[in-house]
Amino acid sequence: MESPSSASSPLFTPSIPLATRTVEVDAGPARLLVLPTATRDVISFRASFLTAPDLGTSDDVALGLVGDVLDKGTTSRDRHAFADALDGRGATLSFYSDSLRIGVAGRALRADLPDVLALAAEALREPLLDADEIRKAADRTVAAIRRSRESTGQQAGGTMARRLVPPDHPNYIYTPEDEEARTAAITPDDVRDAWRRHVGSDGFLLAVVGDADPGAIAATVADRFGGWAAHGLEARFAPDAAPTAPGRVDVPIADRTSLDVRLAHAVALRRDSPDFLAAYAAVYALGGNFSSRLMQTIRDEQGLTYGIGAALGGVAVEHDGGFGVSVTLSQESLERGIVAVREEVERFVAEGVPAEALAGVQTTLAGLHVVAMATTGGLAARLLVNAERGFDVGYLDRYPDLVRAITPAEATAALRRHVRPADLHVTVAGTLPSLA
Amino acid sequence: MPDTHPAFESVRTVGGIEELRHRNGLTVLLVPDAAAPVVAFQVTYRVGSRNEVSGLTGATHLLEHLMFKGSERFNRDLGTSVFQTLQSVGGQINATTWYDRTNYYALLPAEHLGLAVEIEADRMRGARVRDEDLASERTVVLNELDRGENEPLRTLLHAVYATAFHAHPYGHPVIGWRSDVETVTAEGLRGFYDAAYWPRNATATVAGAYDRTEALALIDQHFGPIASGPETGDGAVPIEASVTREPEQRGERRVVLKQAGELGAVLVAQKAPAGLDPDADALDVLVQALAAGKSGRLYRRLTDAGLTTSAFAFYPRLRDPGLFVLYAALAPDVTHATVEAELIAVLDEVARDGLTDAELARGRQQVVADEAFGRDGPYAVVAQLNEAIALGDWTLYAEYRDRIDAVTPEAVRAAAARLVSADRRTVGHYIPEASGEQPAGSGG
Repeated sequence: MESPSSASSPLFTPSIPLATRTVEVDAGPARLLVLPTATRDVISFRASFLTAPDLGTSDDVALGLVGDVLDKGTTSRDRHAFADALDGRGATLSFYSDSLRIGVAGRALRADLPDVLALAAEALREPLLDADEIRKAADRTVAAIRRSRESTGQQAGGTMARRLVPPDHPNYIYTPEDEEARTAAITPDDVRDAWRRHVGSDGFLLAVVGDADPGAIAATVADRFGGWAAHGLEARFAPDAAPTAPGRVDVPIADRTSLDVRLAHAVALRRDSPDFLAAYAAVYALGGNFSSRLMQTIRDEQGLTYGIGAALGGVAVEHDGGFGVSVTLSQESLERGIVAVREEVERFVAEGVPAEALAGVQTTLAGLHVVAMATTGGLAARLLVNAERGFDVGYLDRYPDLVRAITPAEATAALRRHVRPADLHVTVAGTLPSLA
Repeated sequence: MPDTHPAFESVRTVGGIEELRHRNGLTVLLVPDAAAPVVAFQVTYRVGSRNEVSGLTGATHLLEHLMFKGSERFNRDLGTSVFQTLQSVGGQINATTWYDRTNYYALLPAEHLGLAVEIEADRMRGARVRDEDLASERTVVLNELDRGENEPLRTLLHAVYATAFHAHPYGHPVIGWRSDVETVTAEGLRGFYDAAYWPRNATATVAGAYDRTEALALIDQHFGPIASGPETGDGAVPIEASVTREPEQRGERRVVLKQAGELGAVLVAQKAPAGLDPDADALDVLVQALAAGKSGRLYRRLTDAGLTTSAFAFYPRLRDPGLFVLYAALAPDVTHATVEAELIAVLDEVARDGLTDAELARGRQQVVADEAFGRDGPYAVVAQLNEAIALGDWTLYAEYRDRIDAVTPEAVRAAAARLVSADRRTVGHYIPEASGEQPAGSGG
C-alpha cells in the first residue's frame, strides 16, 4: 500500500494532560471541573443533575416540560427580562431533560460568566412555572410530536426503540399518539410538582472551559448554588434490554420517497463493561465513518445510499443499549439495500475485524479525541459526560492508550459477543414502493 | 510582518489574519490559534450553482462528490482514498457546495497538516472525473436529493427561490433539478473542473496550531508546481462571466406547496441586496433583532403568542442580489394568512419606526459574542472565512465586529425600508395534506 507522506514533525503530543490542567473542587453542592484554555474571551459550560424519575409513569414527560419552561421567567424577573438579560450579553443558556438527568448548556464572554451562572441558578432554584407558559410549552411539544410523524428518521428510530427495550427503559421512545396523549394530560400543577420533587442538587456536576479563572468561578458557584437542596430520590427504571424475536415493521408515510431504514438489536453491554472499547472499535470499523466497511461497500461500491452508519447507541453506565445500522434508501433500492446491508454485517462478523482496519480505527479514535477538544464547548461536553459516567478526568488522558491496546482478537471477540446478525430487527419509514 | 517564503507575496494582514499570494495565483490565508493542538485546512473554489446553466444544474455539487473518488495517487484501490487517509488520523473532513463556492476542508491533529495539504493539491488537477465513478455517485446524490425533498422547509425554500428568480441561477437548487442530476455526464462535470479548479480561482486557508514556516513550505511544495489556470494571458475569461442578471421584479409572487404532512409553514422572501452592498451589514443587525434569542421580535410576536412553534429570519449574503427570508412553522389551528400578515407587519414596522436603542444594543452585543465564539476552534474560523471568500472579500470576516459597531439605527430602518416593497416579495405556503392510511406491513 502506498503511504502518503506527512512532512511535518509533531508540534504537540496527541495526549493532552487534562487531569493536570483541570481544577476539580466542590463548590457548594456542585462537583466543579474548570479547565482554563488559551482561548480568548469566551467560556463554555455544561452541567447536569439527577432527576430520579420513575420511568413507569409520565415523570419523564413532565420533566421534559420542566426543562422547557425553566427559562420562561423566575420569581424575580419575568420571561422577557430573563431573555433580555441573556441576549443583552450575547450569552446563551439552555436546559434539556433526558431520561435520567436535566442538563444545562451555556456560553458567555468571560466578563459575563458570573451573571450567566447566576441566571442559571435562578432558573433552576426559583422558576416562575407560570401556567400559561406551561400550556404554551405543552402546545409546542404537541406540535413537535405531530411534525415528527412526517420525519422518516424519527419514525424509523422510534419504532426500532420500541422493539428493543421495555417501556420503562431509558432508551424507550413513546409512539407519537402515546406521547401526545401523555403531554395533553399533564397539568401545570403536575409540572410544578415534578420540579418540586425532582429538581435538586443530586449528582450536580458543572464543567467550565475557556478563558476561565477557577478560583473566581468556584466562588460564584458556591455563592449562587450554596444551599440548593437535594431531593434524595432514587430513579426507577428497567436497566436491561428485553430481547424479542427479530422482525420487520414498515411505517408508511406519504410523499417521502427517501426511506429511512434501521437494522438493530439490543446489546447487554454497559459503558464501563471491560469489553466496551473493543466492541466500540469493532463497530466503528464496520460503520463508524466514510472509511468503514459499510460506507465503502454499500455507498462507494454499490452506490445504494447517501448515508449509512453503524453504531452502539444508548449504551450507558446505568443501562444496556443497542447495536444498529442506519441507512437511507430510495424506493427502487429498498429491498436490495436491506439485503446488502445484512449480508455485509454477516460477512464482517464472520470474517472478524481485520488487523489493518483495527489499526486505522485506533488511529482515528485517538485523533478524534484530540479534534473533539478543539472548542471550549466540545471540551466542556466531554468533561461533563466523563464525570457523569463516574470516570476520573485522567480517563480522558488514558483513553488513546486504552484504544491502542485493543488487539484484533479482542475486537473480533467483542464483535461476535455483541453483534448478532440473525437477531437484527428491521424498521422502514417512508413511502413504500407499493404506495408510490 | 514575518519573513515570507520566496514563492509567496505578502498581500495584507487584517485582524490577525495574513493574506499571501503564491506566484501561481493561489491565495493563502493564515489564521494562527494555538489554543488546541489541531489545525484546519480548507480550499475554497469560487464556483458553485451560480455558475450552472439549464441542463447542468447540480453539476458543481456532483463534481464535489466525485472529487472524493480519487486520483492516481489517492484512491480506494490503493487504500489511500481521501477519506481513508485523513480519517485514519482522526481528521474530520467533508466538502460543501453553495451558490457561489465549493469548499473542501479537514480538521485534524496539527502534526498531520501535511496530509491535508498534499491531498488537496493533488486533487486540484489530478482528480479522476470518470464515467464509472459518476455511475455509482449519481445514485448517492439522488438519494441525498430525495432526503432533502422529505423536508418541507427545504422543498418550500426551493419553490420560493425558483419563483423569485426567473433568470438568475439562484433560482435553481444547489443540489440541482432531478432530471439534470440523472442525465449529466462526466464530460459535463469535467467542464466545471477544468474551468474552475485552478490556483487563481482558489483560496487555501490554514487555521489553528500550525508552524508558519512549515505551513508555507508545505503549500509551496504541493501546490507550487500547478499552473495558475487554463489561460494565463490577459484575455482569460473568468468563469463567472456568463452569469445572467435577474430582471427587476415588478409584482408580488406566490407559490403553494402541498405535501403530505401535519402542520403548515409560511415563508416570506424579499429581494435583497448583494452581500457586499452597503446595506448588508445593517440587514445582518436586522436579522439579529428579529430572530436572535427569545428577545427577538419574531419570537415575541409569533412564538410567544402561540401562533408559531418557531420563527426565524435569515439573509444569506451572496455575490449577487439574493433574498431576505422570514420563515414560520405554524402552531396547530393557526391559519397561513394570520402568520403571513404578522411576518409582513414585523418587517413593515422596522421599515417605518426602526429598532429601539435596546434592540440595537442587543443585536450588536450578540454579534460581538458571536464573533468571539466564531474564533473558538479552527473549524469555526475557516467556515466563516469560507463565506467571506465566496463573496469576494475575506476581510468582511476580519473586520466584521467593527462594521457592525458602525451600523446606526437609521441605517437599519433605511435598509428595511428599501427591502419591504410588496412588488419585490415572494410568499410561499406549505400546506400539509392528510396522508392516505395504509396498514403497516409487519413480519415476524
